[in-house]
Amino acid sequence: MSILIQALISGILIGGVYALIGIGLTIIFGVMRVINFAHGDLLMLGMYATYYLFAAAHVDPFLSIVITTPLMFLCGAFLQKTIINRVLDALPQNQILLTIGLGLIMSNTIMLAFTSDYKILSTKYSSSSMHVGGISISSPLVISFAITAAITAALYWFLLKTDTGQAIRATAQDREAARLMGINVKRMSIIAFGLGSSLAATAGALISPTYYIFPQVGSVFTLKAFVITVLGGMGSVVGATLGGVLIGIAESVGGVYFGSGWKEVVVFVLFLLVLLFKPSGLLGKSRT
Amino acid sequence: MARYVRIALITLALGGLIVLPLYVESTYVLHMMILIFINVIVGSSWNILGGFTGQYSVGHAAYFGVGAYTTMILMQFKHVAPWWGVWAGTGVAVVTALIIGSICFRLRGPYFVLASIAVAEIFRVSALNLKNITNGAEGILVTEVPPLTVGKTLITDWASKVPFYFTGLIFMVMIIVVTALVRRSKLGYYFQAIREDQDAAHSLGINPTIYKNTALAISAVFTSLAGSLYGVYVGFIDPSTVLALDLSVQIVMICIIGGIGTIVGPVVGAALLVPLSEALRSNAITDALIKAGVVSAESKVGAFLKENLAHAHVLIYGILVVIVILFMPDGVIGFFRKFGARRRTA
Repeated sequence: MSILIQALISGILIGGVYALIGIGLTIIFGVMRVINFAHGDLLMLGMYATYYLFAAAHVDPFLSIVITTPLMFLCGAFLQKTIINRVLDALPQNQILLTIGLGLIMSNTIMLAFTSDYKILSTKYSSSSMHVGGISISSPLVISFAITAAITAALYWFLLKTDTGQAIRATAQDREAARLMGINVKRMSIIAFGLGSSLAATAGALISPTYYIFPQVGSVFTLKAFVITVLGGMGSVVGATLGGVLIGIAESVGGVYFGSGWKEVVVFVLFLLVLLFKPSGLLGKSRT
Repeated sequence: MARYVRIALITLALGGLIVLPLYVESTYVLHMMILIFINVIVGSSWNILGGFTGQYSVGHAAYFGVGAYTTMILMQFKHVAPWWGVWAGTGVAVVTALIIGSICFRLRGPYFVLASIAVAEIFRVSALNLKNITNGAEGILVTEVPPLTVGKTLITDWASKVPFYFTGLIFMVMIIVVTALVRRSKLGYYFQAIREDQDAAHSLGINPTIYKNTALAISAVFTSLAGSLYGVYVGFIDPSTVLALDLSVQIVMICIIGGIGTIVGPVVGAALLVPLSEALRSNAITDALIKAGVVSAESKVGAFLKENLAHAHVLIYGILVVIVILFMPDGVIGFFRKFGARRRTA
C-alpha cells in the first residue's frame, strides 16, 4: 500500500512538470492549429541552457529559469515569425513535417556543438529526499513541483485576466472572429509560440537535476506532450494541466505494477484508448 | 512519342542497373546502391498509403521492424532460411497492419499521425522488453546466412554484396511495378478519391475503411520486405535501428523530398538522400572541403568538422525537409516540373 501511495505522490509531482510541457503545446495548437513536433527539442534546449549556466557560472538550475525562460520566449517568437508563420495555411501534414525538420535541426546542432555524450547535472540536493510518514519523496521533484504550480497559477492569471491573455484565448476560439474584433492575430501567434517554447524550456530546466541530458532527449518528451494534450483535449489549458498530472500518475503507478520497462507502453495504450473512444479528450470540445 | 521515350529510358536504366555489378567491383558503390534500393522500397511503399491514399503514417518503422525481426528470429533461432523467412515476415506485417489499421483508420488528419506514432512506439518498447523472443536491447546478430541451393547447384552463398544487390533490385522493381499498376487501376482511383475527399468518396460508395486497409496492407508487405533485406544484409538488428521513430520520419522524408504521390518521387528522394548522408557519415564532405582549400586540416574548424560532421548526417534531413516544405511543397520532382512548365510557356 505504501508503495502505491509513494508511486501516486511521485506521479503527481512529475505530473506537474508534464502539465507545463502539455500547456505549452496546447497553447500553440489552440492559437495556430499547428502541432509542434519540435516541442521536446525546445525542452532539450532549455536543459542544455540550464546545464551550461550551471557548469560555467554555477547558477542553480531552479534559479536559472529566470534567464532561460525569457531567452526561449525570444527563440520561439523568432521561429514563429521567420518559419512557422509561412505554413499556417499549408496542409497539416506539411506543418507536422516542418516542425519535425526543425526539431532535427535543433537536436543535431546541439549534438554537433556539445557531442552526444550524456550529461548529468548534479547539485547538492539532486539525490536527497524527504521522508514523511515512511514515504520518501525526492526533494528536487518537490521543489520543481512548487515552481510549476506557481508558474501555472501565473499563467492562468495571465490568460484569464490580462488583455493579451484574453486576446490569445479569443484567437484560439475563432481566428477569423478575433481578427474582425481588431485583435492582431499575427502578434498573438508570435506570443503564443514564444510562450509555448518558454514553457517547454522551463520544464526542461526544472527536470535537468533529475534527468540525463543528451541531444535526443526531446523525442521522448514530444511524444509525452502529445499524449498529455490529446488526453486533456487539444487546445484546452485546463485539460493539459489535468492530462499532465494523470500521465504522471499513470507512468509512475504503471512502472510499479508492470516494471519500469513497460511504463511507456501503459502511457501509449492509454493514449490510443483516448484517441479511439474520446478523441476530443477529457475537456476538449468535439471536433466538427 | 513521349511514351516510347519513357519506355526506352526505363529499359536503359534497368539494363544499366542489371549489368552494373559486372563492371563495378567497388564494394562501397554496391553498398550504396543496396541502401538506395532499400530506401526506394520503403519510400515507394509509404507512398502508396501516404501519397496516393493520403494517410500520413509516421509509424512505418513498425512494419520494417516486424519484417526484419520475423526473418531474423526465424533464421537465427529456428534455422529457417531467409528466403522463406521474408514471406513469413510479410505475413506477420500484413496481420499487424490490419490490426493497426482497424484501430488507427478511425482517426483522421493529425490524430491519425499521432496514433501511428504511438503504435510504432509500442512495438519498439515491446521489442526492448520481450527479451526471450527478441534479445531486447542487445539485438540479433546473424552468425551465418545459409547458402541458397536449387537441387544440388549452388546459386549463392551470400558472401559478396552482389546477391543482396540483385535481391534489392528485384524488390524495388516489384514495388515500382505494383505502384504503377495500382495507379492505373480502379483501386488506385479509389485511393485517390479517399485522399481528395473521404466523405465524398464514401457517399459515392467507396468504403474508406476497406480501401485504406488495402493500401496499408500493400504498403506493409513491401516495407517488411525492405526490413528483412536490411536485417539479413547488415547482419544485425536492434529496436533502436529497425523500430525507431527516426526511421519512420526518414521514410516519410524520402517521399516529401522527392515528391509525394508520384512514382519517381521516392526514387529521386532516395537517390538524393542516401549518397548525401553517406558522404557526411564517411567524412567525404569534410575531406573535399579540406582538399579544396576551404578549411585547412590543421585549423580548429577543420579538426572540428572532421570529428563531428560524420555524426550529424541527420542534420541534412532536417535542413532539406524545412527547405522543401517552405519552397518546394511538391517536392523536387514537382519543383522541376513546374519550373519546366514555366519555361515552356515563356
